[in-house]
Amino acid sequence: MMVVGIVVGVVLLSFALMYNGLVRKKNQVENVFASMDAMLKKRTDLIPNLVSTVQQYMQHERETLNELTEMRAKAVSGQLSADEKIALQNQFSKALGGIMVAVENYPDLKADQNFIHLQSSLNEVEEQISAARRAYNAAVTSYNNAIEVLPTNILASMMNYQRKNVFEISEAERQNVDVKGLFNQ
Amino acid sequence: MKTIEELKAYYETDLLPTLRVLDRDRKKNVYRLFLGILLSVTAPIIALYFFFGPVGLMVICFPVWIGVIIYLAISIGSYKKSFKVGIIEQIVRAIDPNLSYNASKAVDKAHFKHSELFKNSWNEYKGDDYVQGMVGKTSLEFSELHVQHVSTDSEGRRRASTVFRGLFLVADFNKSFKGKTVVLPDTAEKLLGSIGSMLQSWNVTRGELIKMEDVAFEKEFVVYGDDQIEARYILSTSLMERILAYKKKSNRPVRLSFIGNNVHVAISYKKSLFEPRLFRSLLSFKPIQEYFEDLSLAIDLVEDLNLNTRIWTKD
Repeated sequence: MMVVGIVVGVVLLSFALMYNGLVRKKNQVENVFASMDAMLKKRTDLIPNLVSTVQQYMQHERETLNELTEMRAKAVSGQLSADEKIALQNQFSKALGGIMVAVENYPDLKADQNFIHLQSSLNEVEEQISAARRAYNAAVTSYNNAIEVLPTNILASMMNYQRKNVFEISEAERQNVDVKGLFNQ
Repeated sequence: MKTIEELKAYYETDLLPTLRVLDRDRKKNVYRLFLGILLSVTAPIIALYFFFGPVGLMVICFPVWIGVIIYLAISIGSYKKSFKVGIIEQIVRAIDPNLSYNASKAVDKAHFKHSELFKNSWNEYKGDDYVQGMVGKTSLEFSELHVQHVSTDSEGRRRASTVFRGLFLVADFNKSFKGKTVVLPDTAEKLLGSIGSMLQSWNVTRGELIKMEDVAFEKEFVVYGDDQIEARYILSTSLMERILAYKKKSNRPVRLSFIGNNVHVAISYKKSLFEPRLFRSLLSFKPIQEYFEDLSLAIDLVEDLNLNTRIWTKD
């Protein structure tokens, strides 16, 4: 009788530990996503300053600058689905990357104190976004592993936990990496 | 001065004259040492011949022994000091004239404690060969340290265990951050594979385990920190590669921590650094090369970790 009691106790305890583990991993994913969202918003907030600093100098990039302003308005409006948000952020990365490369043609702008300060802020925010993305991918991988390996996958399907997607690095991001190379000269 | 060839040239033109003078001093000290030993051994014999019993010991031996020890300590100490000023300081200046050297100073205890690299308790903190200055835009300081835990056992004998021995560096890091991130050698994962990794995540003394994506880096190091995102903000993909390359270059255990906007680095050595030889000639190039390599390893930290790139909001 005692042996049965102990076995039942151990099984229940394992269940509790597995359940808690799964919940923690799911929450960690959400937690990191929220932080990443906050950093993306920081970047969006830098746009008006960037546009006003740059537009006096960059005559040829009027179109891109207008696009940036429009995209920001969309982002701030708060009427986007999660997928639309992600797509918009990717567009941001691409447009910002393009502007930063074009800056190379305007030495007066490069020397402008406001712009230099802005550039550091943008670099910092990009670095933080990159860190948040990596942290998100790590959290998602840990979560996906937990819901797919034995024995936790049984419990996970009972809790209806679905696999999540990692953040793919878009082409725009890859371009951003090249831009940093320019700064290092 | 960056290369061994430049060092060789510098050694031949600038260091050899000083080394010859110091070598004469060295020989004098070896002579004095043997004389001192001889005296210490003959004193009891003479004491016993002229006086019987403990009176002889007290009147003759103790003063002789104490005198010999003090004399040798002063003489050899002065020789070491001359060596450090004449040779080590010159090599430091030749590597980078912006750096200052102080033979008897060490990095402040507070930095060592604050770095959280060695959580074992220690009560003896000794160090020397302190170097400090700006390397480009980065302020750097380092010294040799010997940190131990000393206790007396039940029979009154002194027991000392080494907590850390080697080079300890503190440099201004090129990004601002709020929390703590610690990078330690990964012994558990190396030995035990994924079980080791699981054990590491249970280490409660060290904050959260942070699994990095760089496979080669993860094999060598284990990262603990208090924020998953901040740790990755500090340890960018390029910094991880650089840290790995630095560790491979040093070929020794390397530990790093990022706390209080500084990076602290501890490189473990098994022997004493920057000390002059006593029983072998000072004139050979080999020890000079070793001094240069150890000093360069420390000073090159700034370039190797790219700390002078200041494109974020910290200048």
